[in-house]
Amino acid sequence: MSGQKKKNFQIEAFKHRVMVDPKYAEKTWKILEHAIQEIYNHNASGLSFEELYRNAYNMVLHKFGEKLYSGLVTTMTSHLSDISKSIEAAQGELFLEELNRKWLDHNKALQMIRDILMYMDRTFIPSTNKTPVHELGLNLWRDVVIHSSKTQIRLQDTLLELVHRERNGEVINRGLMRSIIKMLMDLGSSVYQDDFEQHFLEVSANFYGLESQQYIESCDCGDYLKKAERRLNEETERVSHYLDARSLEKITNVVEKEMIENHMHRLVHMENSGLVNMLVNDKYDDLGRKYNLFRRVANGGLLIVRDVMTSYIRDTGKQLVTDPERLKDPVDFVQRLLDLKDKYDKIISLAFNNDKTFQNALNSSFEYFINLNARSPEFISLFVDDKLRKGLKGVSEEDVEVVLDKVMMLFRYLQEKDVFEKYYKQHLAKRLLAGKTVSDDAERSLIVKLKTECGYQFTSKLEGMFTDMKTSQDTMQGFHESLGAELGDSPSLTVQVLTTGSWPTQPSATCNLPAEILGVCEKFRSYYLGTHTGRRLSWQTNMGTADLKAIFGKGQKHELNVSTYQMCVLMLFNNADRLSYKEIEQATEIPASDLKRCLQSLACARVKSVLRKEPIGRDIAEDDAFSVNDKFSSKLYKVRISTVAAQRESEPENQETRQRVEEDRKPQIEAAIVRIMKSRRVLDHNNIVAEVIKQLQSRFLPNPVVIKKRIESLIEREFLERDKNDRKLYRYLA
Amino acid sequence: MEEGKNVKEQKVGRLEEWRRGLKALRADTVNKLKKALPELEKEVKRPTNFVDFYSYAFRYCLTEEKQKSIDIESICELLDLVLGSQFREQVDFFVEYLKTQNDYKVINNDQWMGFYRFCNEISFPDFSNYDPELAWPLILDNFVEWMLAKQS
Repeated sequence: MSGQKKKNFQIEAFKHRVMVDPKYAEKTWKILEHAIQEIYNHNASGLSFEELYRNAYNMVLHKFGEKLYSGLVTTMTSHLSDISKSIEAAQGELFLEELNRKWLDHNKALQMIRDILMYMDRTFIPSTNKTPVHELGLNLWRDVVIHSSKTQIRLQDTLLELVHRERNGEVINRGLMRSIIKMLMDLGSSVYQDDFEQHFLEVSANFYGLESQQYIESCDCGDYLKKAERRLNEETERVSHYLDARSLEKITNVVEKEMIENHMHRLVHMENSGLVNMLVNDKYDDLGRKYNLFRRVANGGLLIVRDVMTSYIRDTGKQLVTDPERLKDPVDFVQRLLDLKDKYDKIISLAFNNDKTFQNALNSSFEYFINLNARSPEFISLFVDDKLRKGLKGVSEEDVEVVLDKVMMLFRYLQEKDVFEKYYKQHLAKRLLAGKTVSDDAERSLIVKLKTECGYQFTSKLEGMFTDMKTSQDTMQGFHESLGAELGDSPSLTVQVLTTGSWPTQPSATCNLPAEILGVCEKFRSYYLGTHTGRRLSWQTNMGTADLKAIFGKGQKHELNVSTYQMCVLMLFNNADRLSYKEIEQATEIPASDLKRCLQSLACARVKSVLRKEPIGRDIAEDDAFSVNDKFSSKLYKVRISTVAAQRESEPENQETRQRVEEDRKPQIEAAIVRIMKSRRVLDHNNIVAEVIKQLQSRFLPNPVVIKKRIESLIEREFLERDKNDRKLYRYLA
Repeated sequence: MEEGKNVKEQKVGRLEEWRRGLKALRADTVNKLKKALPELEKEVKRPTNFVDFYSYAFRYCLTEEKQKSIDIESICELLDLVLGSQFREQVDFFVEYLKTQNDYKVINNDQWMGFYRFCNEISFPDFSNYDPELAWPLILDNFVEWMLAKQS
């Protein structure tokens, strides 16, 4: 800019002629020097800005810029030396105040001086690469005043002392602090950092190191964290009030390191007040604080919290699922699982900010321990059965959905979903046939959820069961309409026709139905087969129920609701007063284990039983004798005796179901192998195993040994062969 | 498989005779084979064709039309005959295993061939280079497990 001005300088700014007086420069300088002095002496009001400006301007113009500049430097330096001495001389508290006051004065003076020398600032200085006036003023202040050997240390110590006092609870002059700190910042960020910030951080680290050590010995975890949080808030406030904003991150890092990072393990594992204690006692505030504080630590602060929480949940869950006491009551078992999930869901939402990594850790923990107990699928189905049978009675639609969604959540954790399917089918069948479901809508809603989760295949058979129930209603209507008159006095019959394949398979068992009902049964059979050719019907005697009207010895009349088996047994007593077990067995041809159970429920109940057994006792022997209990009584007219409700399986039944599940899995594994080989043509063993697992894992986790066996079976049946050259490979045979 | 085929073609007449006779006297399978072996051994000109011969020996014992496996007892005798001279120890131990285990009542061709490969490739009796996660027939996985349990 100055170059341009010199080139284009044609017009004289002042009208009078300027004479080149050899003493001119010296004279002019003296005027200016005097002015500077007056400014520093707070006597600026008597000066004429215009005149001084003109003088400075002229000096530069006549090429005396160098003299002007060096004069400025000298003068300012000498004034600042005086100022520095007066600051050094200040006693105690007054030191900082004096420094501040002098600094503010200097700034004002500098402003005026800069204004006066503006022409030099804009022309001479840039062209000679000298430091501009304002900056020069700051640098001189720094070098002469701040970095005077006495002042430098004293300033540092004073500032740190004040911070320390404030940390100990004293009130300090924050305005003064702010002004001094701002001065350091104005002098340059390296001045702020070297003269203050660096030491500030060091001292703070020591301070918090000591304090944290003290606290950790004397406080419990909750209190310690409160204190740490408070200190962090304090430091944040301190920065906003009188430090450079860029110091915020640095000082909070110091506090985080000293108070949290260095004591992470101890805080988490603190006895009686650590993380586990907080989790157990639902201390949401403490947990939230812990989460927020530990989150600040970059090197795995949250990791340690999450890991400790995960292993605690795993242990708790494992204990729950392997406790033999808990296994006696499946509904309670599942309820406890749901309660556990609810508890931690709440903790994660209220205290852990819905952190996804914590959610994942919770999910993986549940997946881990639910599958530790092989009966989990069965128990979850029993829980659902209980809810749909009675538990959800009178519950609003939305609440029903909530419960079902929770069940689905547990279902998702199961590895053996095919086992669940098997039990669910059994239990559903019992509910449908006994007409014992609280809400059809709830049943259907759950089926829809299962379908969404597992696909159409999973639920097609279940839906088939519902269809059969509906169809049977229609069939019964048609039956009564067409044979109404014929039926007359026969016992009234309600038939449900079940499509084989949709319903759980039952081994067919023998059972001789009493003569009284054979007639009407046959009529139904011919009616049905008349309208549906090409089908075969077989009575499922282990699934039916009957209502019997009974008159006992003293004339008591009751209606007994019994199972089909029980009906066959009881009807025998119309023609005989006393029967031995053997006779009953021969007459009914019911399989022994079922018959024994049936008789136990008739004769060995704790409340008055319908039958009497000699000798008394639960075990049934060949020669035991049975007769009707003439003393039978009940408050109710209608008495329920049948035990068709779903129950937890006995050990041997459980083994049987397990075996059936294993058998069912074999064709599924083979189908997967064939599917994979058909598309890949050639594949090595490890990859087949991996692919099969991947394909089937939504239903169950196939055992690699079983997979190998299936492959060998497929080789034998010539679906696959081993590659002739590389025995690790299998080949698909079209 | 050429050599085996050639042998078959050349001696089709005699083999057919044997076959017919064997069908009538199923129990004599192994004895007949014992007699036939020296003859068959001569037919095989190159010693590297042992694997073909080994494979043929199995097929030879399949008397029925759709038969695919051979009972354990016959297999034991067959192994002794065919592999006894080459892999004495492996054969002895495997035979003992076959006789004591209950999982398998018959052996199929895949398992038969697998055992030959096993003798050739796997170090015995430490099985240090055996990996049950590879494509070895399951019966050999079980055999190795049984051997290792015995040794410890």
